[in-house]
Amino acid sequence: MADEAIGIQGVTKRFGDFTAVDDVDLSIAQGEFFSLLGPSGCGKTTTLRMLAGFEVPTEGRILLEGEPVENVPPHRRNVNMVFQSYALFEHLDVEGNVAFGLKRKKVPKEEIASRVAEALALVDLTARAKARPNELSGGQRQRVALARALVNRPRVLLLDEPLGALDLKLRRQMQIELKAIQREVGITFVYVTHDQEEALSMSDRIAVMSDGRVAQCGPPEEIYEHPTEEFVAGFIGISNLLEGRAESGGRVRIGDDCLEVPDLGDERPDGDRVRIAVRPEKVAVDEIGTDPYRIEPGMFTVEGEIESKVYLGVGNQLTLRLGNGSRLVALEQATYRVRADEQWEIGQRVRIGWHPEHCMVLG
Amino acid sequence: MSSPFYKPRFLKVFTGLVYLYLFIPIVIVIVFSFNSQKSLQVMDGLSLRWYEEFFDDPTLMDSLLTSVEIALLTMLISTVVGTALAIGLVRAHSGTAKGFNVLMLVPLITPEIVAGISALLIFSQLGIALSIWTIVLAHITFSISYVTIVVRGRLASIGVEVEEAAQDLGASRWESVRLVLVPSLWPAIVAAGLLVFALSFDDFVLSFFTTGEDAQPLPVRIWSMIRFGVSPTINAVGTLMMVVSISAVALAVLIPRLFGRRESGVKVLTGAEE
Repeated sequence: MADEAIGIQGVTKRFGDFTAVDDVDLSIAQGEFFSLLGPSGCGKTTTLRMLAGFEVPTEGRILLEGEPVENVPPHRRNVNMVFQSYALFEHLDVEGNVAFGLKRKKVPKEEIASRVAEALALVDLTARAKARPNELSGGQRQRVALARALVNRPRVLLLDEPLGALDLKLRRQMQIELKAIQREVGITFVYVTHDQEEALSMSDRIAVMSDGRVAQCGPPEEIYEHPTEEFVAGFIGISNLLEGRAESGGRVRIGDDCLEVPDLGDERPDGDRVRIAVRPEKVAVDEIGTDPYRIEPGMFTVEGEIESKVYLGVGNQLTLRLGNGSRLVALEQATYRVRADEQWEIGQRVRIGWHPEHCMVLG
Repeated sequence: MSSPFYKPRFLKVFTGLVYLYLFIPIVIVIVFSFNSQKSLQVMDGLSLRWYEEFFDDPTLMDSLLTSVEIALLTMLISTVVGTALAIGLVRAHSGTAKGFNVLMLVPLITPEIVAGISALLIFSQLGIALSIWTIVLAHITFSISYVTIVVRGRLASIGVEVEEAAQDLGASRWESVRLVLVPSLWPAIVAAGLLVFALSFDDFVLSFFTTGEDAQPLPVRIWSMIRFGVSPTINAVGTLMMVVSISAVALAVLIPRLFGRRESGVKVLTGAEE
């Protein structure tokens, strides 16, 4: 592939008996914002560290623009990393930190000065050029780390949970800025995070990792709407899991009810165990005995009871108990017509529905 | 008194007595060093007479220089070796390193008299003539441990990521140590060096066993002076030694602050975590 920035081919990393990364294959395109998403211990950081050169793969190959680099030491790789702790050099001022990489490469003095100024302008820190890292706020330290890496114009920028130490509001703001910077410089970003919202909002593609392997890899919409396994469905957002048995004609029997599932395919043998998932925001809830308000024609419907209700301001999160004892979470958005606090009693009988095409088949 | 926080008065008195007990000998030495008479009991007017005598005494001056020389050499060698040892012990995550971390403490708890006698035995077995170098060698044995403990504390708080960041930015392993790690450790290294200087400067036991004929460090010289009768010059020498030691330790505490760091020098010296 000509426009491949990074190729990870059959890479395994073991630490003693522990397999941190298990036979991973990934291809990351030039200019892509690629996220490695997963819980702690899933192997995402180890994968990133192998790209940086801090770990050598036990097996497999790592290609940087087509060149195998798995045995090239970190200081000879044309990639740069933004560390979770920022790892700023406390004895140097902001400029000194940013200039560090260029000085190692023996870039001429005038060029260093102009590129450092440019990088500081990019992250909006020109005014703090002479400050020491310990005089900066968390968000500013984060920007220094980013400028220090970007100033080297790496082929790939590696980011290890770069926003993890910031508070929520600043994190949201930095997400937007980071994405804007990536668009501006056009460098391939490989971004490690455990925050699914962050990955969904910033990435071109996401690889969801679990136990050292890639569970699913694709664009955010695909990961969210069509998870291929239970882990992915559960890790990205909340999912309602329902168990049933396959019946002829692509239908699934759940308790007494029968549900048509377009995604199911025809090859399922009768009685085969099927797990499906529905996102809470796709579940509609209506009072019984009134005209349908949220439930639409074509929806699969069941009856149930409201078990609990959490008021979220912009809506309600309802836990519903179905006839067969299984539970379902519904996320209900308040609208200009309905306030979230005016509805639903615990124990109230309700009608529950969702469109068959919103069922995700998890095998 | 009904207050639950009532503190009995005798505690204050007792604390006062403890401090008196601690400081009276030192104060007496300082006060009598300025006495104009030879008496060690009666203060009889102020003068710098004993200081003049000290500075006019060639053997005492010789010993002072010897002590400074020994302390400087000890400081230089043990900070270099001790820092290297600290880096090795913290960065090598092997089981052996754990063992060596404990072993390193042994020179600190070895009774000095034992260390002194064994040093003397080794030097005479190997036919090494006693000189200031044998004293320096003996002082280095315990000094390395001090340096390593102080530097190790700081090193643990820096973390590996800083070195990795340097390598990621194009520094070789050695450059990452030289350009990033050592400058980050600098306050701790300087503090440890000054501490070691103070310890070496006033060490008596080890010096006593490893001193040759030609150059006696000040504490050993004072000891041999007392054998021939006590002169008030001793008070002047004692006061000066105290000034040197206290200045070194004070600098060791202050320097980390002068480097513009937030943590206190005491924390750097003790390696205490927050």
